[in-house]
Amino acid sequence: MVLHLSVLLDRVFHALADPTRRAMLRSLASGERNIGELAAPHRMSFAAASKHVRVLESAGLARRRIDGRAHKFQIEPSALAKADEWLRFYERFWTEKLDALESLLKAEDKAYSSSPDNNTSSRKDKDNGRRKH
Amino acid sequence: MAVENISSLHLQRRLESSPERVFDAWVNPETVRKWLFTTPTSESNTTQIDARADGQWVITDRRDGVDYKALGVYVEIDRPRRLVFTFGMPQFSPEFALVIVEIAPEGNGSLLTITHERLPWSHVKETEQGWKNMFTQLASVLGE
Repeated sequence: MVLHLSVLLDRVFHALADPTRRAMLRSLASGERNIGELAAPHRMSFAAASKHVRVLESAGLARRRIDGRAHKFQIEPSALAKADEWLRFYERFWTEKLDALESLLKAEDKAYSSSPDNNTSSRKDKDNGRRKH
Repeated sequence: MAVENISSLHLQRRLESSPERVFDAWVNPETVRKWLFTTPTSESNTTQIDARADGQWVITDRRDGVDYKALGVYVEIDRPRRLVFTFGMPQFSPEFALVIVEIAPEGNGSLLTITHERLPWSHVKETEQGWKNMFTQLASVLGE
């Protein structure tokens, strides 16, 4: 399960790492497109655009709809949501950590400036503690 | 969600301490153990840090009688500007991330920027032997 998600996220983040593919996704976010429409803003060949679209498809970010001889592409929001979920998890994680770091530094500064003589750690810290806040 | 913001995570924080002091809070074990991977209710915390490129770090935090580990390897150490390390929490996920901490002076304090990027799972597999060696070393260090 975890492994499966890891492989999926690998493909999603690999697909999202490229600015052309991100632009294609933005285009798909506003509606269904064919390869020609996806290629047009990027001055690239049909084949090159097709390659990018296949990367989006294999990551589950885009879905192909075949209408007769026309291939149309749509955005598939669930894979994007998985990537977003992953990022939001670490956003919460680091926000909490930075809160803790900030409080710790403030508490240490306060302790140093109220009783600098009690500070037996490095000179660098003492210098810092002397700063006015 | 914005497609542009989804390839990696960026967070910024202004801090009132000097870049040197902020940097040291990331690598000095006595400081790290108080904030990086612990909770107010943790029962104990062991933080081991080998702060040089290719050096390992491991934090073991005990919560409700269970030891939780966070660990990784330093990739780049450039005090007080930049710190790059890998980061994993093996009990929660087999994945590792690359964390880039950049610290710039700002006024009397610092501006800290964190970038958190996912390391491809294939990369983790490629370096699996490396991680195995690391875990073996850790196990012997920790007496497990």
